[in-house]
Amino acid sequence: MRRLPVYILLDTSGSMRGEPIHAVNNSMQVLLSTLRQDPHALDTVHISLITFDLEARVMQELTPLEQFPAVDLKTPNSGPTFLGEALKTVGQKVKSEVRVGSDDGKGDWAPLLFVMTDGKPSDTQTFNEQVEAIKSAGFAAMVGCGAGPSADVTALKRFCTSVAMLDTLDGPGFEQFFQWVSDVIADGSRSQNAGPAQVTELPPPPSEINIVI
Amino acid sequence: MIRTTTLDGSDIAFEPKHFAQGGMKNVHWVEGRRAVIGFYRNKPDPQGMERLQAIVGAHRKSILEGAGGDTLAKLFRWPEALVAWNNTIGVVVPVFDGQFFFEYGSFDNDRLRIKGREKEGKWFASAHNRTTFLDGREAGDWLGYLKICIRLARAVRRMHASGLAHSDLSYKNVLVDPITGDACIIDIDGLVVPDKFPPEVVGTPDFVAPEVVATQHLEITDGRRKLPSMQTDLHALAVLIYMYLTLRHPLKGRKIHDPEDSAKDDALSMGKQALFIEHPGDASNRINTEHVRDSELPWADTDKMPMTLCGPLIADLFQKAFIDGLHDPAKRPRADDWERALVYTADMLLPCQNAQCTGKWFVFDNSHDPTCPFCHTAYGQDVPILNLYSARSGESFRPDSYRVTVYDGIGLYAWHANRFKSPNERLAAADRARLGYFRKHEGKWHLVNEGLPHMKDVKTDAPIAIGGSTLLEDGAQILLDAQNGGRLIHVQLAGDPKKTPRERGD
Repeated sequence: MRRLPVYILLDTSGSMRGEPIHAVNNSMQVLLSTLRQDPHALDTVHISLITFDLEARVMQELTPLEQFPAVDLKTPNSGPTFLGEALKTVGQKVKSEVRVGSDDGKGDWAPLLFVMTDGKPSDTQTFNEQVEAIKSAGFAAMVGCGAGPSADVTALKRFCTSVAMLDTLDGPGFEQFFQWVSDVIADGSRSQNAGPAQVTELPPPPSEINIVI
Repeated sequence: MIRTTTLDGSDIAFEPKHFAQGGMKNVHWVEGRRAVIGFYRNKPDPQGMERLQAIVGAHRKSILEGAGGDTLAKLFRWPEALVAWNNTIGVVVPVFDGQFFFEYGSFDNDRLRIKGREKEGKWFASAHNRTTFLDGREAGDWLGYLKICIRLARAVRRMHASGLAHSDLSYKNVLVDPITGDACIIDIDGLVVPDKFPPEVVGTPDFVAPEVVATQHLEITDGRRKLPSMQTDLHALAVLIYMYLTLRHPLKGRKIHDPEDSAKDDALSMGKQALFIEHPGDASNRINTEHVRDSELPWADTDKMPMTLCGPLIADLFQKAFIDGLHDPAKRPRADDWERALVYTADMLLPCQNAQCTGKWFVFDNSHDPTCPFCHTAYGQDVPILNLYSARSGESFRPDSYRVTVYDGIGLYAWHANRFKSPNERLAAADRARLGYFRKHEGKWHLVNEGLPHMKDVKTDAPIAIGGSTLLEDGAQILLDAQNGGRLIHVQLAGDPKKTPRERGD
């Protein structure tokens, strides 16, 4: 059985404290329950959740959609945004978790990456190193989301295949973004074996999101 | 409500705001919610318009208003009319019947909250989905899936008879209800007519024919490029039937063609290098059962659940579709071949004696000790078998390769009594009534005649009057119908567990 691995990287730095993190938790829950109503997604999608603030943390290893536990992310009071570390972690995870085809079985589908941040990477040097590494990690698509006025979209643009912007850090915005994430995943779980070397075309984002690239 | 008229001049009113979005259309409710209108986000070009006009016009008339139109109308969600609004075109289609929405939904009191949603085929065609997620009351039994396949084959047969190809048959475009055995083809606005209306989509993964996958990299203008057609519909139909009846994909086995790139590997395994997982002469693409989820067993185990559990007629067509015709489209079984094999197979079923069995029905395998392949319960009863013969050129009766297994209470119908009648949309209303039935009474089998005026015992020439009955004995020959195409049954008693094969004399 081929799996469709999905990596979700979420910024949990201090600036997300309060309503924003609650909104993200809620949106993650909506994302999971929406995907669980889709028989195609249920058949293939596996999700991993990695958060980053003053460190990168694997909150959930690659887990079948139906078994993914409830999400309750917390934020520290303040502190840096280690996006570079997060990319490094996801790179390692992809290497160890995503199966390649062999006599032992079929390989997984090329994974999808979603990154949401409301700030800019504080670990500049690691980030610079990881930008190139992540580009060659084999993702079918890397979708970035800059949330709120302080989000550094330029940093996301350096590695993402598409970047969206949310003007404000609020519930409806996150919901829209996660709805898009859900569409991209559902589409991915449906359009397997699209044929030789076809560019993965993402479904259109909801109208309330500004696409930067 | 927006009030306007359809292009053919009927009044229509619909809600100004859409309630759902499809791949190409925004979907609005029609007043009273008796139908919906899907408005194309991009207005169709003149050729697209011509196609839509033909679908709501001539083709609708010929299929839905012709012979058996009432029956056929249930198999399709056929577009009714077109509406021009807001600089685009909308297609009016009726709403689905109620049985196509989940009544109970998923496990654990509908944990996934799918109650009320459409019964998309994918829920039922994947072993993991069907066994892990669905409420037991939604899953249906094997007969339900057999009926779904009959209706699908019938719908495709009827479209092809009119020269129309669906071009995107998949579990996404077919709603099914295993409880009633109903199936309904949706998304009909993409119909393909060779040389007239070209296909708009390549198809849905899992169902795209190998020749289409293998030539997908070529330009659309390249003469070698293969596009969806009736022949590719026949591949998709065979895949759908295989998946509903065996809960696995016929081409998805262990064979690896490109270890590095899953997409290329898949393109090869579904295209140029496609190989049937149950190919009797080449085992290299068998499913590796060590690499499947527990929920996919025993279905993924082709040794335990070989295609022959579907009976010899269907297994034969699977071989034709996935071996002979896999890379040679002209050899694929046609929809009418499928319909006939499926209908005949429905007459070879036995009811499983285990009340807890999920299959509930299984195909009699011609053995003396039939055992349910789903729960391994022995049938434990004798099975009268009727071999059907029909009159050709006067007095001689020839075998029809049609056998009926008898169990207590089963009925006899017009299509058993006469070769020229089939249980499809063309069957006259008068021919739908039961004409006889079989009963086991005090250890003996009886055939009761309810409506066959010519019934007689051939050996004794004794008539069996309507209201009368006859004993079914091994070797008995009973004439059912003396008219042209009328049938004679030859009775065999099999599967008596109380006797050993030696005692039975075989």
